[in-house]
Amino acid sequence: MSRRFLRLLLFCLGGLIAGPALADLVVVVNARSGVAAMTRSDVINIFFGRNRQFFNGLEALPVDLEDMHPQRVQFYKQLVGKDLSEINAYWSRQVFTGRMQAPPRLSSTDEVLKWVATRPGGIGFVELSRADARVRVVYELKP
Amino acid sequence: MQTPRRSVGVLDSTPGMPSTPRCARHSLAGWLGCLFPALLVGLFFSAQALADADPSFSVQGFGTLGAVRSDTDDVEFVRDLSQARGATNEWTAKTDSVIGLQANWRIAPKWQVVAQGISRYRYDRSFKPEMAWAFVKYEPAPNLSLRAGRLGTEFFMQADSRWVGYSFLTVRPPGDFFWYLPFYSIHGADVALSVPAGEGIVRGKVFYGLSRGKIPLADEQWEIKASPMQGGYLEYQAGAWQLRASYANIRFKRDLPIARVLKQESNYDLTADQQRFLAAKGTRTHYYSLGVVYDRGPWQAQLMLNHIRQGTRTLEDSDGGYALIGYRTGQVTPYVGYSWVRSKAREKPVTGDPLADAVTAYVMQDAHSEQNTRFLGMRWDVARNVALKAQWDRVQGSSSSLFPYRRDDRPNWDGRMDVFSLSMDFVF
Repeated sequence: MSRRFLRLLLFCLGGLIAGPALADLVVVVNARSGVAAMTRSDVINIFFGRNRQFFNGLEALPVDLEDMHPQRVQFYKQLVGKDLSEINAYWSRQVFTGRMQAPPRLSSTDEVLKWVATRPGGIGFVELSRADARVRVVYELKP
Repeated sequence: MQTPRRSVGVLDSTPGMPSTPRCARHSLAGWLGCLFPALLVGLFFSAQALADADPSFSVQGFGTLGAVRSDTDDVEFVRDLSQARGATNEWTAKTDSVIGLQANWRIAPKWQVVAQGISRYRYDRSFKPEMAWAFVKYEPAPNLSLRAGRLGTEFFMQADSRWVGYSFLTVRPPGDFFWYLPFYSIHGADVALSVPAGEGIVRGKVFYGLSRGKIPLADEQWEIKASPMQGGYLEYQAGAWQLRASYANIRFKRDLPIARVLKQESNYDLTADQQRFLAAKGTRTHYYSLGVVYDRGPWQAQLMLNHIRQGTRTLEDSDGGYALIGYRTGQVTPYVGYSWVRSKAREKPVTGDPLADAVTAYVMQDAHSEQNTRFLGMRWDVARNVALKAQWDRVQGSSSSLFPYRRDDRPNWDGRMDVFSLSMDFVF
């Protein structure tokens, strides 16, 4: 609990001092998934749970970053122009109608990469510079 | 392999933790008794669960603290017809306040059990908690879902999330559209299938079941339990757009308790002919709706239309709809909207018994609605998972518009009313 709080505090302070530094974010899938590229609509459909499989039928297992992570803020801002409160409102509708649960939220890029690398249908978003051989970049977010 | 799900209140499966499966749901009280401690434990241990657990069980909740008043005591303003009493020109918290708790339990990779308990003001004037839904979900393929048990019904868009204030922009779903939907759940089954189509997704759902619940009528209640209900929708969602057409119907198993109400209030005995004329038993009501939603960047807009065809002479066919638009700046989203409902008065009986005909006509007038509402409000996402809202509704209609309200004082009611609402919505 306290670690999360500390991270949050640091993030807020960081934001005050430097303003959020925007990294280039990319969407990555497992290198063996058979998926080579995705459109923005494909990415939206998967991350919002509208579509739960890739074009080749493989079940998509999207993964998110924890609530206040700066790259989570950036991802949804660039993908759909939405604030996190709106993303959370969207998921509260899906959850409390019993339709579906939100993607799991991990605390770091390392964990996201591990998640994607260890599941054939794994899909997440990371900084471009962190995408390694275990994953394949299928979409680049534009500011 | 279970997917670690990060959700507040996740219980991990560490030995020694209370294992929820043991919380058999023998009774609602027992179930809630299990849920509350589980929730507390879940909150305390959520950090651990985050670390590395296999959280096949999670508890989440939602709630609203709301206050509403109108500027008249000629009628009582309700959120929908499932509420026995409503708001007048004094502030009340009962109309909009709610608390809900939901448990999700993944029992196998493709199988889930979901149960939701909810406490809100209802037909019997109490906040007695009830099981809103409890079902088993099976997903044989990623885009196919089958559910059975006690299910929320979604016969208008967003009808099954009407109490989750945090999930929408306004204080409450626009009344002119949702008032006549006191139905919330069925004992039955539904099937939903999503199919990618071009840039978007086509989604279809059908459901069938037996309705639950009661609808208050004066001091009596209309039992709608066991009335068969069925319906479905077809939806296309692409980018920022969502379009949906839906249809549902219900076949009423019982008559409205009109005879009892008249006996009680006026010591009037409804004749057999009148009862036959006003019968609801065996009649079917059809609900049609169309909805369009646009949601991208700071903009949110919705347009919904419905048409209801009633089988009983006690209720009138109606057309309703609303348009809503909101624009977010920072954490504040102001919105404006317009909603309306018009029902079509039926032929009143002419039987040669003027007193009986007058009584029947009086009963039938109670089902008339003819009004529109302009509303203006603001949602402020003041903290993580907490939203504050303020809203002003101006209702303008005919003095014959009685159906949406409770306890109407017909001689005084002029069809006009202002409604002021404040609420705090949260999820946890």
